[in-house]
Amino acid sequence: MSDITITIDGQVCQGKEGEFILNIARANGIFIPAICYLTRCSPTLACRICLVEADGKRVYSCNAKAKDGMEIVTQNEEILEERRAIMEVYDVNHPLQCGVCDQSGECELQNYTLELGVDSQSFAIPDTKREATTWSSVLHYDPGLCIVCERCVTVCKDMVGDAALSTGPRGGEKLSKELKERVPKDAYAMWNKLQKSVIVPSNGTGETNCSDCGECIAVCPVGALVSRDFQYTSNAWDLTRIPAVSAHSSDGFQIYYEVKPTSISDRTPKIYRVTNEWHYTSLDGAARFAYDFENRGVQKDPEAFAQAVDALKKAETIRFNAVITNEEAQMLQTLKEKLGVRLYNPQVRAYQKFLAAYSAASGQRLYSGDNAQIMRESDFVISVGTHLRNDAPGSRHAFNNVQKMNKGAGLYFHPVGDTLIPGMGKTVSTFAHKPGLEEAVLYLILDLFADREKLPEEVQNYLDDFHTTETKTIQEKVMVDVTETVVDEETGEQKEVTRKVPQMQEKEIEIVRNGLVELLGKESDAFAAELEKMLKKKESFSLMVGEDLYYHAQAENLARLVALAEKACGFTLVVIPPKSNALGVALICDLDDAASGYTVGYNEKGDFRLSALGGGDLDMPALNQQEGTLTALDKRVVPTNAALPYEGYELNDLLGAVVGAPQETVDWTERLPQEKGYKDIAFDALSNHYDSDGSDNRGYRLESIRCEVIMDEVEIPKTYSPLEGEIAIRLNPGRQFSDFTDKAHQIFEPFALYASPAKAAMLGERVEVALGDRRLTLSVVADDKMGGEIVAIPDFKSAEDIYGLFGAQRYRTVTLRKA
Amino acid sequence: MIHEVTWVGAAVKALIALLLVSAVAGFGTYIERKVLAWMQRRPGPAHVGPFGLLQLAADGIKLFTKEDFIPQFSNRLIFSIAPVITAGTAFMALAAVPIFPDFTFPEWIPLLGGVFVPSIASDVNIGILFILAAMAAGLYGPLLAGMSQQNKWGIIGAARTAVQFLSYEVVTGLSLLAPIMLVGSLSLVDFNDHQAAGIGSWLIWQQPLAFVLFLIAGFAETNRTPFDLLEHEAEIVSGFVTEYSGLRWGLFFVGEYANMITIGILASVIFCGGYSDFLFIPGWLMMGLKVSFFFFLMLWVRASWPHIRPDQLMWLSWKVLMPLAVVNVVITGIVMMAIG
Amino acid sequence: MSLEQFKNRNVGQQQYRMLDLGKTPETSWGKFKQVVSRSLKVELMIGLGVTFGIMIRTLFRGETHTIRYPFEKIPISRRYRAIHEMKRLLESGHYRCIGCGLCEKICISNCIAMDTRYDENQRKEVSEYTINFGRCIFCGYCAEVCPELAIVHGDRYETASQQRASFSLFEDMLTPIDRLKQQKEYPGFGAVSPHADENIKKTPLAY
Repeated sequence: MSDITITIDGQVCQGKEGEFILNIARANGIFIPAICYLTRCSPTLACRICLVEADGKRVYSCNAKAKDGMEIVTQNEEILEERRAIMEVYDVNHPLQCGVCDQSGECELQNYTLELGVDSQSFAIPDTKREATTWSSVLHYDPGLCIVCERCVTVCKDMVGDAALSTGPRGGEKLSKELKERVPKDAYAMWNKLQKSVIVPSNGTGETNCSDCGECIAVCPVGALVSRDFQYTSNAWDLTRIPAVSAHSSDGFQIYYEVKPTSISDRTPKIYRVTNEWHYTSLDGAARFAYDFENRGVQKDPEAFAQAVDALKKAETIRFNAVITNEEAQMLQTLKEKLGVRLYNPQVRAYQKFLAAYSAASGQRLYSGDNAQIMRESDFVISVGTHLRNDAPGSRHAFNNVQKMNKGAGLYFHPVGDTLIPGMGKTVSTFAHKPGLEEAVLYLILDLFADREKLPEEVQNYLDDFHTTETKTIQEKVMVDVTETVVDEETGEQKEVTRKVPQMQEKEIEIVRNGLVELLGKESDAFAAELEKMLKKKESFSLMVGEDLYYHAQAENLARLVALAEKACGFTLVVIPPKSNALGVALICDLDDAASGYTVGYNEKGDFRLSALGGGDLDMPALNQQEGTLTALDKRVVPTNAALPYEGYELNDLLGAVVGAPQETVDWTERLPQEKGYKDIAFDALSNHYDSDGSDNRGYRLESIRCEVIMDEVEIPKTYSPLEGEIAIRLNPGRQFSDFTDKAHQIFEPFALYASPAKAAMLGERVEVALGDRRLTLSVVADDKMGGEIVAIPDFKSAEDIYGLFGAQRYRTVTLRKA
Repeated sequence: MIHEVTWVGAAVKALIALLLVSAVAGFGTYIERKVLAWMQRRPGPAHVGPFGLLQLAADGIKLFTKEDFIPQFSNRLIFSIAPVITAGTAFMALAAVPIFPDFTFPEWIPLLGGVFVPSIASDVNIGILFILAAMAAGLYGPLLAGMSQQNKWGIIGAARTAVQFLSYEVVTGLSLLAPIMLVGSLSLVDFNDHQAAGIGSWLIWQQPLAFVLFLIAGFAETNRTPFDLLEHEAEIVSGFVTEYSGLRWGLFFVGEYANMITIGILASVIFCGGYSDFLFIPGWLMMGLKVSFFFFLMLWVRASWPHIRPDQLMWLSWKVLMPLAVVNVVITGIVMMAIG
Repeated sequence: MSLEQFKNRNVGQQQYRMLDLGKTPETSWGKFKQVVSRSLKVELMIGLGVTFGIMIRTLFRGETHTIRYPFEKIPISRRYRAIHEMKRLLESGHYRCIGCGLCEKICISNCIAMDTRYDENQRKEVSEYTINFGRCIFCGYCAEVCPELAIVHGDRYETASQQRASFSLFEDMLTPIDRLKQQKEYPGFGAVSPHADENIKKTPLAY
C-alpha cells in the first residue's frame, strides 16, 4: 500500500492507497460529519451524512477509497442542504425529552442538529410504538431513542467479535410517494432504511447472550443504549473524567473513570461509569464494568502500620499477584534487594520464565509485535494456547478485527472448544486439540509457514517424518466417446453417431498426509484444502501465544519453538501476559519459585496481609485509588490516575519506614529499571492521549533491547502424551480476572465450574471436583460458547488458591462427581 | 361654708394626685406615640389590646422585668438616687397644684365619709414659688445622672441640663411675675378664683406675652422638642439617660411626664381660668380638657418642628425671651400704676 | 467612562430647584430683623397646620402608609426572586421536575444538587434535590433554564429561619399535594415569555 496525496478543502493530506477518505480526513484533523462510521470498523452507510464531493462527484467519504491526487470538497451548498435534510429526518419522531436522556450533553444527534442548524421540521410520519427492553444484565436498549446508525452492530461484529446485534424489522409505516418527491435523495434513502429497522439481538431472542463488554453502549451516539446501572443516575456534564488504565486484563486498555459525588448527603467521589476513546480502543466487560473495586473508608491506622513494618522486616517471602503498578513492583524488588526477601508470584512466574527462555532463544528481550500492529497490518493470525474469548480480550479483538477489516484468515489452537471463534470469519479454522500437544501445534505451524531453509536440519527432518505419501483411489468424472448405431425412422437408414458421455472412473492419485494435522484432530487433506483457501493473497502473518504455553511441562522448549517460529516464519509475535500488569512484574521483579517462612501477602494470603480488598491486616489503595504506571501488552508503559480518594497508608509509606523511599509513589516512575527498557521519565511528564489518526501516545513504549542468544536449540519430542480422561482447565469466565473484578457490583459471573451446555447438562447443578487431595464443591454454569468436554475452574478468587491446586500446569485431570 | 382641711383629706388628695399623674404619665406615652404616628401617617401601636391600648401594659412589663444594672465605674449611690430626684421633685411640685375642684366624700362611705378633699393638697401661700422651686430642684436629677455614669454622652447631657434648666428658670420666673402682680397672690387657688368670672376674665387676655413666654420656657423645662437637647438621640445617644435602663429609666420617664402635666396645669390655672365651671361643663372636666390640650400641644409641636442647636437655645433665652419678659413686667407695672 | 461620568451616571433627571434662602444677615440689626420677621411670620404655625391636617386625614380617612406586615402583605414585583418553589402537574399531582439537571448545571454559585435514579416505572426519578441557601444568590438562572416550569421563584421572601434546612429540601419547596388546587402559575422569573408561541417554529405531526 503506497502513500498517496489528496487535497481536502485545499489542505494537502497524506494517506495510504485504498484508505477511506473519511479516515484520511480524521487523521489530519479535518471535520467531516459522520454518525454511523467507526474509525477501525467497516463502513455501514446508514447515515449518509459524510457526503462529500470528490473530483466533482458526490461520494460517501466513509466508503470511498482515496486515490492519488483526489480533490475533496467537504461542504458546499448542496451537500449542506442534503445533510440538513438528513438531520431533519433523524429528528422526526425523536423524543424531545433530552432532559431525562442520559446522553444529553454528549449526544451526537444533538450536536449535529445544532451543527447543521436544524431549527424547524418539515417532514412527519406516524410514530411506531417501541418499548424499551433490557438485553442482558448490563444492557438497556430504548428503541424510541435509537436512530439505527448500526454503530453498535458494527462494533460488535468488527471489533468485539460477538456479532450479537443485528437490525430487525421496525414495523414502521411506509414512506409515502409525496415524501419521496419532497425529501432529498440521500435523506430519503436513509429514512427508508431507518423506517424499516431497529436493533435486535441477532440470536432471535430478547437477550444478547454476549460477552457483556458494553462497547455498544460506548459507541451509541444517542441515549438508546445505556448501562442498566448507570441509567438516569447522572448527566454527562456532571462527571469528571479521570484518565486511567484498566486494571484487569493485561491489555492496559485506556479508560476514563467518570467520577461524581456519591449523593447529596455523601460528597465523597464515586465512579459512576467507565468510558473510553472508542474510536481508538475497545474495552472488555471487566474494564468497562468492574470499576468499583476501591478500598472504601480507609483511615490511617498507625498501629496496623507499625505491625506491617515489623511484618515486612521479619518476612521471608512476599506473595503478591499481577494487580499492582510498576512502581509497586519496583518497591517490592527494592525490598528484595535490600532485605533479601523472596518474591513469590505464581501468576507471573511462569510467564517470566517463558519470556526468559524466549529471550535466550531469540536474542530479544521482548516479543516483536503488539495487538494494534496486528490490527493495522496483519492478515493472517494464529492463536496458540490462549483461550481468546476469556483470557485476552484485546487479542481477541485483534484476531476478530483482522478477519473483518483486513480480509484476513485465522488459525485458532486451543483444547477448549469454542463456538464463537469460527464465526469470526469465513476463513477461520479452529483446532480443539488435546491438552499436552502444544509442541505439536508449534511444529505444525513451523511446517506450514516456515521458510524451510531457516529451520535447523533436525527440525526439518522431524517435520518431514510426519509427511506420508499415500495413493488413494478416487472417483473421477471422465468424458468417454460412445459410438452408437442409430436407425433413422424416416428413412430407415442406419447411421453411426458418436457422443460424449460422462462416466465415473476410478483413479489413483498421490496425496501427502500431514501426521501433525491428524495428531491435532483434523482430516489432513480437508485441512490442506481449507488452508489453501485461507492463504490466498495473504502477506502479513502474526502469532499470538498465551497462558497454556507458560504453564506447561515443556514451557522452555515451547518458548524456543515460538522464537524459532517468529524467526523462520516472519511472524509478528505477541506473547500475551496472563493478567493485569504481569508484563511489568515479569520485567521488574526477580521472582522466586516458591514461598517459604513468614509470608507477607499483598492482596494474597499470607501470615500478614496487606490488602486493597479490605479485611487485611493493613489496608492498601486499590488500582483506582493510586497513581502509577502499568506495563501493557502493547509493550507500553501507560500512566493511570487516582479516581477516588484514599486516606490510608500506601506501600511507599511502608517502604519508607523499612528501607527508605522517595516522598511519593510516582517518584518511583523514573526509577524503573532502564536495563529492561524503561525510561527515565517522571510520571508527570508522561503523555496520555491518542492522536487523531489513532496512534497511541499514552506513556512511552518500552525500548526493544537485544540480548545475547544463549540457547535456541529446540528439543524434538520423542512422544506426545496428551492428557486423557476428565480434564479441567484453570480458566476464568469472561469478565472475571481477580478478586477485584469479583468485588465490582456489575460483574455477575460466579465462582463456579464452567462447562459446555452438553457437559453441564450431564453434570447437573452442583459437582464435587477432586483435584488431588483437595475437594471443591462448585455449582455448574453452562457457557454456551464452550464446546467439548473440558471443564473450566476459575482462579479469580485468591482465597481458593486455584493456582496452588493447578501448580505449574494449566490442565489437570480431575474427578467430577454430582453433589 | 368653709371646710376644714384634715390630714386625711390632704392625704387622699395627695394619693389621688400621685395615682392620677402616674397613670396619666403612662397613658401619656401611649397618646404620644399615637399622636406622633397619626401626624406621620402611621397607625401607631395597634397590636397589643384593642387599638393597641395594652401596649402600655406591655411596656410596663418590659420596664419592670428588664435587667437593672449600674455601669462599672459609675458612682453607684448617685447613679441610683438621680432618677428618684427627678420623679420626687416632679411629684413634690404637684403638692401645691390644684388638680380638681374640692369635694366631700358622701356620708355613707365608711371611714372616709364626710371627709373634705381640697382642690389642692397643700394650699401654701407661696404656691407658685414652691412649684417653681421644686421644679428647679428637679435639675439635679439629670445633672447627677449624667455626671455619675462615667459616660461622655452622659456628661454632655448633664452639662446641657445645667445650662438649659438654669437659663429657662429665669424666663419662667420673670414671665410669671406679671400675672402674679395682677392677682396679687402666690396661691394658685387665688389665681383660679381670680378668673372664675368666665372666659373673659382669663389672664391670657391680659398677659398674652407672659403666656407665650411661659409656654416656651415650659417646653424647655420639661425637656421637650424643640428643646430636647438633654437627651437628643441624634447627637448624644441618649444624653443623661444613656446608661439607664429598666425601672430607673422608667422613673426619669415618669418624672418627665409629671412635669409636662404640671406645666399643663400651671398654664391652665394661671392663664386659662383654672378649674372653674364653664357654661354647663363642670370644672374638673374643664381642667382635664385644658391640661389635655397643653399636653397635646407638646406632642403636636414635637411632630412639627425641628429642634434647635444649644447656641440657639442660649441665644433665645438670654437675648430674646428674658428681655421680653422684663419688658412685659415693666409694662404691666406701668399699666397697673396707670389704672391704679 | 470617565470618573465624572461615572459619578453622575443615572442620578435622577438633574431637574433640581434651588431653594432661595436669602443671605445670612451680617449685622446685628439684620439679625434682629430676621428674628422678628421669622417670629411674626406664620411659618411655624403652618408647620403645625400641616401635621394636624395629616393627623386628621390619617384618623378619619385612613390614609396611612403602614402595611400591617405580618397580617398584611403587599404583592411583590414579579421580577423579585424569592425562595424557590417546585411546582406540580395540575392533572396528576406528580411533581414537574424531570431531573434533567440543567438548574444544577447553570447554577453559578453551585448550590443546587440532585440525585436521580431509574424508578419502577422506567422513568427518571429525582430521589433527592436540595438548594443550599447559604450559597444561593437568587440570580434566577435555574428558574429561567427549567424546561418544565418546575422550579420557579415564589413570593416567599421571609427567609429568616432557625435552620437553613427549613427551605432547602425538595419537599419544603414542593407545592403540598393537598394544596394542589391553589397552585398558581408564577408570572415572574422562569415563566413562559409573553410571546413564546409566536417565536416557536411549528413541528408537523403525522397523527
